[in-house]
Amino acid sequence: MKEFEKLNSMLDRRQFLTRTSLGLGAMAIGTLLGKSLFGNDIGSASRIVTPAATASMEEDILKAIPHFAPKAKRIVYLFMSGGPSQFETFDYKPGLAGMRGQGLPDSVRKGQRLTGMSANQSILPVAPAFCKFHRHGNTGTWVSELLPYTAKVVDELCIVKSLYSEAINHDPAITFLQTGNQQPGRPSIGSWVSYGLGSDNNNLPTFIVLVSKNAQKDQPLYARLWGNGFLPSKYQGVQFRAGKDPVLYLNNPEGYDGMDRKEMLGYLSKLNQLQNEPYGDPEVEARIAQYEMAYRMQTSVPEVMSMANEPNEIFDLYGPDSRDPGTYAANCILARKLLEKDVKFVQLYHQGWDQHSGLPSGITTQCKATDQATAGLITDLKRRGLLEDTLVVWGGEFGRTVYSQGKLTPTDYGRDHHPRCFTMWMAGAGVKAGFSYGETDDFSYNIVKDPVHVHDFQATLLYLMGIDHERLTYKFQGRRFRLTDVEGRVVKNILS
Amino acid sequence: MPLLDILTFLGHLHPLIVHLPIGFLLLAALLHLLSHHHRYAHLVRAVPFILLLGFISAVFSCLFGLLLARGGDYDADQLEKHKLAGIALAVFSGVLYLLARKIPARLFTFLLLAMAVLVSYSGHLGGGLTHGADYLSMSTLNQGGTKVPVNPDSALVYEDVVHAILEKKCAQCHQGSKQKGNLSVQTLQTLLKGGKHGSAVTAGKLNESELYKRVTLDPSDEKFMPSDGKPPLTKQELAIISWWIEKAGAAPGVKMSVFRNVSPVLQEDTSGPLTQHINPEIPQTMDPRLVDGLRKKGWMIRVMLQRPAMLDVTLPAGSGKKTSQVKDELSGLEKNIIWLNLADNGFRDEDLIFLRQLSNLEKLRLEKNPLTDSISKDLAGLKHLEAVNLNETRLTSAGLTMLEKNPSLKRIYTWKTCVKKP
Repeated sequence: MKEFEKLNSMLDRRQFLTRTSLGLGAMAIGTLLGKSLFGNDIGSASRIVTPAATASMEEDILKAIPHFAPKAKRIVYLFMSGGPSQFETFDYKPGLAGMRGQGLPDSVRKGQRLTGMSANQSILPVAPAFCKFHRHGNTGTWVSELLPYTAKVVDELCIVKSLYSEAINHDPAITFLQTGNQQPGRPSIGSWVSYGLGSDNNNLPTFIVLVSKNAQKDQPLYARLWGNGFLPSKYQGVQFRAGKDPVLYLNNPEGYDGMDRKEMLGYLSKLNQLQNEPYGDPEVEARIAQYEMAYRMQTSVPEVMSMANEPNEIFDLYGPDSRDPGTYAANCILARKLLEKDVKFVQLYHQGWDQHSGLPSGITTQCKATDQATAGLITDLKRRGLLEDTLVVWGGEFGRTVYSQGKLTPTDYGRDHHPRCFTMWMAGAGVKAGFSYGETDDFSYNIVKDPVHVHDFQATLLYLMGIDHERLTYKFQGRRFRLTDVEGRVVKNILS
Repeated sequence: MPLLDILTFLGHLHPLIVHLPIGFLLLAALLHLLSHHHRYAHLVRAVPFILLLGFISAVFSCLFGLLLARGGDYDADQLEKHKLAGIALAVFSGVLYLLARKIPARLFTFLLLAMAVLVSYSGHLGGGLTHGADYLSMSTLNQGGTKVPVNPDSALVYEDVVHAILEKKCAQCHQGSKQKGNLSVQTLQTLLKGGKHGSAVTAGKLNESELYKRVTLDPSDEKFMPSDGKPPLTKQELAIISWWIEKAGAAPGVKMSVFRNVSPVLQEDTSGPLTQHINPEIPQTMDPRLVDGLRKKGWMIRVMLQRPAMLDVTLPAGSGKKTSQVKDELSGLEKNIIWLNLADNGFRDEDLIFLRQLSNLEKLRLEKNPLTDSISKDLAGLKHLEAVNLNETRLTSAGLTMLEKNPSLKRIYTWKTCVKKP
């Protein structure tokens, strides 16, 4: 309502008459000519346009935040896109070795749906993991030999083996995990967080996205996964690219002086103000603010992207890839630097975990590309004291099937999508360290203990940031939306 | 049956139209009184007509009232009085209408005033029947005397909670002058005595407790209570009542703390399933102007919680602020600062003595300042401090040993210091 009143005060009588006289004349003519000319009744054609949400309602909702004392100040979310197999990483199922090649019992499958890719297989042969598992850390947690570095920091991790999703294909499943809905159009977690909590750094975006360049692009990623949906556009994630232009169109054109840019932006801002005065459109204000942010980013982004001050020891910690900007490992260093600057939500995407066939070699490559840097990030954050108030999240959009998709050979197999259980882990602020939660059955097919729905996970994430997932809502097209729709329950038992 | 339904319906109209004679008759008296003043003398002509209206509406009120009295379980004594007063009033107003301008003006005035008194009396009786006899009485004025328990745990299950629930949800129809089904919820004795269907509450036996059975029926059931779409009992209220009947033997004097310990219901409702342990010494409020002031002076302030008022305060690295400035600017918010970040600002040990006053501090970041072992003295007395970051300072193992004497400190970060790794 505030905006409406502001607009009202801007439209005094004189202005109203000046602006609308022409329009009124046109309407009068329209009415005189009647339906015959315009094909419809002008009088009733004007629709009442209600704003998406009243500003005061939004203010009330935001004013009540935080609902809880937050445990985490920042989140770094390492998204393993494609659906990493739980069998070759964290969910150790030794009993499968003896069942190699046997069909998946119906008592386990219970007639549940499969994807079209394996539904017509004559047999669903059980495929034990090709790799070995060992116990690690003080907690003696089983970790696959493919993740030797992660195994060393396992005492920092809170491993949840009982996540489950509703979607069985990549796009709906990623969209579900990132926005709380399988259909596109809703804001992503990072957008909700920056909308609810605002920024702790005036020179960098609140929500930054980094996509690995050294991953097999088996499944596409879309900007809408870090989009703002119906939230105001300034809450969208900003993608930093590898290479010369981390943020597109941020650099000055060749031969264009920084002072010129400043002067130009000054005039542009005045022009925008001029436009804003009569209309009071919040989007114009957002635009002005974004130009100013972009100007500040011209200094802050090159500064944060520069690796010149990182000692060799850092590159050794994150692994050899980390010297090559744009790789997952380099992005992990960059993520740490952004978190040091109090960027609230940093999301890394690493594609290529979709091993329908050739899983042994595929997942080995994936682990190699990510394992050392992930563990390096944990170690680095921990010793810098940043794990105190930073939450690290690792995981994909769903798990994989116990049976082999396609032919099971002594050395090779693949696994299909499996939404009924998968493993994720969190570390740092507010979650128990060295802890495992949830259990799956002997086939890692169904959850037998402590299931965690995607909405539960999202509710927990918001809780750690101080937000009650039921109370952070936004009214759009006549109804209030939230990240967890009408579900979600904070997973109390993993909280420290 | 339809005829009976119509009669019942008309009966229910009694509380509505009864306000017409009250209004008309009082208006007639008022106009007559006013007409004694010469400015309003002309009003006198309206009085008989208004009396007539009052009379007609009073007759209808009586008829509807009789219909209503058929069905309701009202206190017989009170009802009788109200009935008589109402009929008397109708007759009286009719007679007055006929006598208007035929008797001396003074006598007429006196009779009108007497009628006004009768209106008030019968109206009050009627109100007492609907809302309970003590709805409007002197005791209403003295209600401050109701004893409020000191804290939720010392409250008594029946006396402070169950009774209050019944008062709120049932007393309108089951107490005082209106005791439908002969049940009164006024005291424990009347509950045990019960009503038409026997005892309302049977110790230890839920399925023999008519009260509990009625409030837990399907809401569409004709016997469901509270009837007529009045607000039903909530889940929590039901849980308390059922526990009191079944486990506490429907006895008086049981403490709520006993119930709390056995049932999660109350916790769910009052504090939510997520309980956070928050230091009770943190002040509930703070001066928001101080926070705005700090922001203007370049600090990054994050409100961690509004009640109690918890702040996460960051001084941007290399701010160039002097100690005295920092101390002054933070003054007034010392108890509200829970997380503090002063990293990389060139502070020395002697600059940070003011930290001792931040008694509620939980997380402190001091990395990249030229601090030495003496900083541990300033942190020794902070009894809520959980984590301190002294990376890249000149701390040595000796300083670390001193720090570790603070029992609340769980995590001390000493990367790139002279502290030897264990």
